[in-house]
Amino acid sequence: MGEADCGSIAAYNYPRFDEYVAAGADMADEDAFRASPWAGQRAPDFTLPRLGDGAQVSLSGLWRSRPLVMEFGSFT
Amino acid sequence: MFIYTREAHPGENVVHHDSFERKLACARLLAGEAGIGRDILVDDLDGTVHRAYGLMPNMTWVIGRGGRVAYKANWTSAANVEAFLGRFLAGRAGHPPGTVPVMYETQQAEFRYTDRKRFMRDLLRNGPRAVAEFEKAQQLWAERAST
Repeated sequence: MGEADCGSIAAYNYPRFDEYVAAGADMADEDAFRASPWAGQRAPDFTLPRLGDGAQVSLSGLWRSRPLVMEFGSFT
Repeated sequence: MFIYTREAHPGENVVHHDSFERKLACARLLAGEAGIGRDILVDDLDGTVHRAYGLMPNMTWVIGRGGRVAYKANWTSAANVEAFLGRFLAGRAGHPPGTVPVMYETQQAEFRYTDRKRFMRDLLRNGPRAVAEFEKAQQLWAERAST
C-alpha cells in the first residue's frame, strides 16, 4: 500500500453524507464497483490488521485453501 | 470475514475517521454492538482495499481458491450469497456422469430486503445528524430520478 495524501484521505472519509451525495460521489462509487475486477479475474491481494489481536492477515492466505467470503461495511 | 471501511453515515456518536486510531475505535464498537462474530480486518485510513474492490458501502465478494473472483455484489444479501455458495461449491463435484464442469460468468439483478426501521435506528445510533443527512440525501435522489 502506498502513501496517501491528506486530500485523498479527507475525500475518502467524508464528514457529511448529504454533501457526498450532492457531489455525485455515490454515483462515482457505483462506477468504481463496475470497474472493479469481475468474475474470473484475479482478486487483488492485500494484508490487513485483524481487530482484536492486530495480527497481519493476507487475503491470499485466506483464499488459499477455501473460498473466501468478504463483506465490506461499517457501523450502518 | 468482514472488512471495516469508512463510516458510510458519520454522525455525532460515530464520527468520520480522521486517524487510524479513531478508525480502530469505531471498528471495536462495530464488533461489540453489532455482534459480528467473524474476523474483522481493518482497512487503512485511505481505504486502499475498499478502493480496489469498488467503494460501495456494503459489498459482498467471494474469492475462489486460487484467488479468482467467483462472486461480486454491490450490496449484501446473506440469503443470496448462501444460495450462490451452494451452487458454486457443488458445481465442480455435482456434474452428471459423462459431463465436465465448465465455468462461465453471469451478471444479474438480485433483490435484497431492507428493514427500513432498523436502518433508521442504526442511523440514529450514529447520531441525529446521520438521520438528517440521510433524509437530505433522499431528497437529492428523488430530484435526480425526476430529471
